Amino acid sequence: MATQHSRAAARFMISPSVLLLLGWMLIPLGMTIYFSLLRYNLLMPGEHPFVGWENYSYFLSDPAFKTALINTLLLVVGVLIITVVGGVLLGLLLDQAMWGQGIVRILVIAPFFVMPTVSALVWKNMFMNPVNGLFAYAAKFLGLQPYDFLSQAPLMSIIGIVSWQWLPFATLILLTAMQSLDQEQLEAAEMDGAGPFSRFFYITVPHLSRAVTVVILIQTIFLLSIFAEILVTTNGGPGNASTNLTYLVYAESLLRFDVGTGSAGGVVAIVLANIVAIFLMRMIGKNLDA
Amino acid sequence: MGRITLDKVTKSFGEVQVIPPLDLTIDEGEFVVFVGPSGCGKSTLLRLIAGLEDITSGQIRIDRQDATHVPPAKRGLAMVFQSYALYPHMSVRKNIAFPLKMAKMDPAERDRRVDYAAKVLNLTDYMDRRPGQLSGGQRQRVAIGRAIVREPAAFLFDEPLSNLDAALRVNMRLEISELHNTLKTTMIYVTHDQVEAMTMADKIVVLHAGRIEQVGSPLELYHTPRNTFVAGFIGSPKMNLIEGPEAEKHDAHTIGIRPEHLDTSAESGLWEGRVGVSEHLGSDTFFHVHDTGLAEMLTVRASGEVALRHGDKIFLTPQMDKLHRFDAQGLRIA
Repeated sequence: MATQHSRAAARFMISPSVLLLLGWMLIPLGMTIYFSLLRYNLLMPGEHPFVGWENYSYFLSDPAFKTALINTLLLVVGVLIITVVGGVLLGLLLDQAMWGQGIVRILVIAPFFVMPTVSALVWKNMFMNPVNGLFAYAAKFLGLQPYDFLSQAPLMSIIGIVSWQWLPFATLILLTAMQSLDQEQLEAAEMDGAGPFSRFFYITVPHLSRAVTVVILIQTIFLLSIFAEILVTTNGGPGNASTNLTYLVYAESLLRFDVGTGSAGGVVAIVLANIVAIFLMRMIGKNLDA
Repeated sequence: MGRITLDKVTKSFGEVQVIPPLDLTIDEGEFVVFVGPSGCGKSTLLRLIAGLEDITSGQIRIDRQDATHVPPAKRGLAMVFQSYALYPHMSVRKNIAFPLKMAKMDPAERDRRVDYAAKVLNLTDYMDRRPGQLSGGQRQRVAIGRAIVREPAAFLFDEPLSNLDAALRVNMRLEISELHNTLKTTMIYVTHDQVEAMTMADKIVVLHAGRIEQVGSPLELYHTPRNTFVAGFIGSPKMNLIEGPEAEKHDAHTIGIRPEHLDTSAESGLWEGRVGVSEHLGSDTFFHVHDTGLAEMLTVRASGEVALRHGDKIFLTPQMDKLHRFDAQGLRIA
């Protein structure tokens, strides 16, 4: 593809797909921004007058916004900590040779294949339910008061459910990274007098840094937009104790039928996600350089 | 410091015994080379000495102390791995300092030792680089540096030169020999390359299927191989081994004659054959001689350039005092 002619031809040939992708992205984004500047409520049919930043000031000054923002960050950070630490520990365990290794590995990875709505429902009704749940049964068996997880600690419960879903992903990536560690390096460290903990912290952990970076980046993308688990379990409540930004946007546009404010919330979410992305890349992006 | 004794050491992986009972003494300050074809157990033996593998039975003594169940770090041995096993995320300085850091050594003393090792190995200009930014030879030197700073009782080398190109290998061979002369520490070196073994060793241990075939100085092995395996393995090109009627004339099952101990002539000689491939090295010429009726092929080394071509008739006469005789079990007849 070196000559000028072939390069021009190449550009011409890829242009349809580029234009299609661009349209796919830009049209919804443009419409969201456009709607966010209108007074557009489905309960008030008729005109959609241009109102400038009104929707934004309304959304940002809503007390639920601050709560949702904090909840979003807590959810992302909480799940990241649990999955990365748990993934490293599980990976270490699964890296050992043991009987039934193949089956155990499949069992560990299984939660990832369960749909978010299904797993959230299973957790809500079969584990966390204060009357029929397994945890309630266990508490009663021990003579304790059953704990109503979803009303007493809604955000923590959702963090638990989401962590359960994402732990397999982190485990899988970290396990493969561990298996790619040169055994001679560990042996050399052993000869050099490093005990098991020193070997783990000086050799294994630095080797895992790149895999951890990948896990954090990919999970952050998906965790910022957690929705199904909240809808199925708590509906963002009690109050707005488990409402994150995604759920708040949903509530504005589809529960209160306020398309304008919902769109403004969507744009705010995009901006915040990009801020998070910039910080993440600053902090850990250097790990990805070879 | 640095005397290692193996007493009836065996090693089995499951049902398979890779090292049958084996006795060996390595004296202080010796440069010992374990040599043998691949799969002969030489690396396993080294790992047993290092403590990276547990021995199945027997005893290992280091400086007269029983070290059989001592963990690797406490044996006072340092190892250089085939892949170098440098820590990729640490600078050269940190790599070399790692064993001292693990030993919780005082930082001033640590820096002194690291700087000394860097000077000895010509690494001073590379101390802040990562292993990924170094050439093969430099990585090799860092791995040696990491071994030196611990001031170990003995160094263990596991085929350290096999990843280097030919020219660099010759250089590093000299450097390691120099290092041995400077430090005068016991070194155990594993290789499958008999040239490395011959050039570097004070004492060579020839291994075959986990068994020690012969232990001795390079020239001892060259002049008096104890059996046909050692005879065929040591020396390049390989010794010619001849069986059958010709051997029986010398009251032996097999006779061996090295390529350099065959006199060539175009007119007359004891054995007659036809020249096959000839390899001209300038200083020497190697002929592959066919159709002698003695063996499939004989290798002959002639000094300088010899004007014999492919297909020419050639006469060979062995130097009778350099003939090796072996019995039916392959053992040397004195």
